Amino acid sequence: MIAALNGAFDDISKAMRLHRVWIALAHEDIGDQHRRTTLGPLWMLVNYFAFVGTFAFVFVTKDASNPSYIAYVAIGMLVWFYLTETITMSVSLFQREASFIQGTTLPLFVYVMRLTMQCIIRAGYSLAGCVLILLLSGYGINTNWLLSLVGLLLLILATPAFVVVFAFLGAFFPDSEFIVGNLMRVGMFFTPVFWVYSGQEGVQEYAYHWNPFTYFLEGVREPITAGIFPGHSLAVTGYFCLGLWAIALLLLGLYRKRIVFLI
Amino acid sequence: MTSITLNNVSLVYRLFEKLTLSAPGRRRSALGGNIAKSGTKQVVQALDGVSFELKAGDRLGLVGPNGAGKTTLLKVLYGIYQPSGGTISITGKVDALFNIHIGFRPEATGRRNIVLRGLISGWTAAEIEEKMEEIIDFSELGDFIDLPFKAYSQGMAARLAFAAATTLEPEILLMDEWIGAGDASFQEKAKRRMDELAEKAGIIVLASHDDALIRRVCTKKLTLRAGRVESLA
Repeated sequence: MIAALNGAFDDISKAMRLHRVWIALAHEDIGDQHRRTTLGPLWMLVNYFAFVGTFAFVFVTKDASNPSYIAYVAIGMLVWFYLTETITMSVSLFQREASFIQGTTLPLFVYVMRLTMQCIIRAGYSLAGCVLILLLSGYGINTNWLLSLVGLLLLILATPAFVVVFAFLGAFFPDSEFIVGNLMRVGMFFTPVFWVYSGQEGVQEYAYHWNPFTYFLEGVREPITAGIFPGHSLAVTGYFCLGLWAIALLLLGLYRKRIVFLI
Repeated sequence: MTSITLNNVSLVYRLFEKLTLSAPGRRRSALGGNIAKSGTKQVVQALDGVSFELKAGDRLGLVGPNGAGKTTLLKVLYGIYQPSGGTISITGKVDALFNIHIGFRPEATGRRNIVLRGLISGWTAAEIEEKMEEIIDFSELGDFIDLPFKAYSQGMAARLAFAAATTLEPEILLMDEWIGAGDASFQEKAKRRMDELAEKAGIIVLASHDDALIRRVCTKKLTLRAGRVESLA
């Protein structure tokens, strides 16, 4: 166990020293995806606006310009898109990186950070859109935004662990690419991204309280939309991150040298 | 002092079988070591008890039929595969020429691809800067260097990949087949570059099916068969 953890930390520290590699590759990945388009990476901002606009338009029934609901959806979509993209892309990570893994001695965590960086860059565009929507909805910048940053920071800290866990899952169990993809699509309806929980019973109660993604969302959203310190959400998210990182470190320590035989 | 010492090195890995309708007896591959059972699992014995010693100035040619373990042994030496048994002791900076096209991106310019290739190879920003013009000159791409890699002909792409991959200063060089690239005149230039590279490296390990090449370049020959050393001469 100790040897495995040492191996994992060694891999992580080597990868962090090679930060220029994964930052450069992540930028190239983003650039390649939009290189021939007119708007370039701004398409990510357009997509975000389109989704938030559609949900706000469809689900706001009483008052089409209800600013609190629009802000609720805007932050919900920001976090959910980030999570869903991170997780679904992680499952096939080692397959996509097969030529590098089989042809170089780069630490495995380099690929984890490459994807993490990609997801953060993409989320940056959505974040710009989200801030714009919040400002237009009348949520001026105040100290509550700093509390929201704590939630965002926890989310970013959890990202490499999410990537490691789901990348190993995909390597050991290739069918998980399709299973996870479908679960994340369905998961949006079981997570309070666009629906508001106000004490309902039944499925919504379980979906709200027993869904770890709820706490990632609320940790970022509650300070701005409800003006409260999301202590409970941050605590649950923090414990979840610790557990996830423990699993990620064990997987990395035990199996990082075996991945080359699995892909 | 550059050296490589392998003592009874073996590599065994579990075979993850994909779902197939083939009869079990027909699933075995004729290539890639021995497939054996370990409990309920199928395992591949890719290397078995490989031992040898190389010191500065040695040029080892790895020969053997397909699946004998040549590339596997190179990847064990490079550190891509972790051996299951035995010990490996390597002194010296190891570089490898397995896939010269690795890391090249079609949308990026030739110049950007050199930077990316340098980063992947662990070069510093100063080293990339220093080697940039040398690589461009050697590849003879001229103004094409600032066009996207996808705009290159196959020969041009091979020239750039070759130039970037062989701008090394290795103490130990591992090669999976001798690399040539481009048209006849560039082939001659590439041959000279490879000879220089071989000359500069303290130790070379070259896997090839070309006996004449092995005789020309190498001072030792190790024959592998089914992951075992058949002879070392």
